[in-house]
Amino acid sequence: MGSVTGVFTSENRLHPAARQLLNDAIDKGWASPSKIHHSSRELSLLLEESRAIFASHLKVPASSLHFLGEPGLGFHLGANGLLGNGQLSLPATSRQELLAIAQGHSRSAVLPVDLEGSWQLPDGEPDDLLVWATANLETGAHSPNPSDFAGQIFVDATADYSIPLPARWSGALWDSKSWSGPLGLGILAISETALWKNPLPHIDQRVVPGDFNPALVIASAIALQANEVERVATITALQEINSTIRNFVVTQIGDVDIASPISGSAHLLSFSFLYLHAEQLVEKMDARGFSLDSGSACISANLEPSHVLAAMGRLTHGNVRLHLYPNNSLAEVEKMLVALKEVVTELRANK
Amino acid sequence: MITVDSLGSLCPQPIIDISEQIVKNPHESKFELFSDDPATWPDLQAWGRMTGRKVSQLGETKFLICTS
Repeated sequence: MGSVTGVFTSENRLHPAARQLLNDAIDKGWASPSKIHHSSRELSLLLEESRAIFASHLKVPASSLHFLGEPGLGFHLGANGLLGNGQLSLPATSRQELLAIAQGHSRSAVLPVDLEGSWQLPDGEPDDLLVWATANLETGAHSPNPSDFAGQIFVDATADYSIPLPARWSGALWDSKSWSGPLGLGILAISETALWKNPLPHIDQRVVPGDFNPALVIASAIALQANEVERVATITALQEINSTIRNFVVTQIGDVDIASPISGSAHLLSFSFLYLHAEQLVEKMDARGFSLDSGSACISANLEPSHVLAAMGRLTHGNVRLHLYPNNSLAEVEKMLVALKEVVTELRANK
Repeated sequence: MITVDSLGSLCPQPIIDISEQIVKNPHESKFELFSDDPATWPDLQAWGRMTGRKVSQLGETKFLICTS
């Protein structure tokens, strides 16, 4: 902890504990866990151990968990699988994958959000589905308590795994990369009481197609264990770092619109500087050794600004998104902020 | 009223253009902005909130900014 990484993007290097184990896991994780050979039985045991680790940390029954080689597929399997003929309700700041599902469903309600990213919980009928995120992936904004919603609840837990699921969850999705585990692994939970129907063409009772790399599952479980120890140990430091950044960009740089509410997840921060091209800002910060993300139009593949910022009424240009990790020290963040001030000042002088 | 033509420019240029005209014309209170960038309207509203200016959309590519 405390090392200088310069990484503040939503992708991070694999956790060292998982990296150390990954080679060994690949050695042991080549067989098919469903066959009867010695190697298969050994792998099956390792996968069960991993499943138990996930169940304990994510606080769901081990039997409800399914592994996915394509994390994004979990949105389709989870939300469309729970969605019958009822209405799908979701805030306008939901993940694009979920908004696309709403677009393709005959009865859907995209809920407006305010400047803080807050939204009003709809009443709902028993056959309706609500999409509820533990935190917004860009801003860290939290969602209202959904316990009064009458229908089923699908939880997008890809941005913050540490927030408990609501009591009446029906389905939930996590992404291994959110705890610095390996990329390319999603974890889908379907509650035993949920009215779930496989939305994909299928030949058996399996919830997921079954294509995942067992070595990644084992490495991800180790990463989750290690990351959780560090997360708990650094939670106060993280909150201080978050406050330091907010205070610095307002008082030392100025003309900034902070989209992340103070009450949100402290590891996610989004703010936008007036009169700045985000692409130039990200490039100049990269040249100084700091990797940042941005939700501005000039840096997105389709040249559209972040739908999250636009829905909140926040400034979409000059946007910077930071993902703070347990190994980002205050000293490293302070260096990054000094560089950020210099870059913003330079770009504003040349606008 | 001052007219600012930012057609063909991508954000943040339209916001920079209108800000520059406001600084150059401190006695003018109404500005008309033309911009066809889809990010202009959400950004103009955020900019108006941040700087205390009243903004409205008059057409697909036409916006009104009042400074007082």
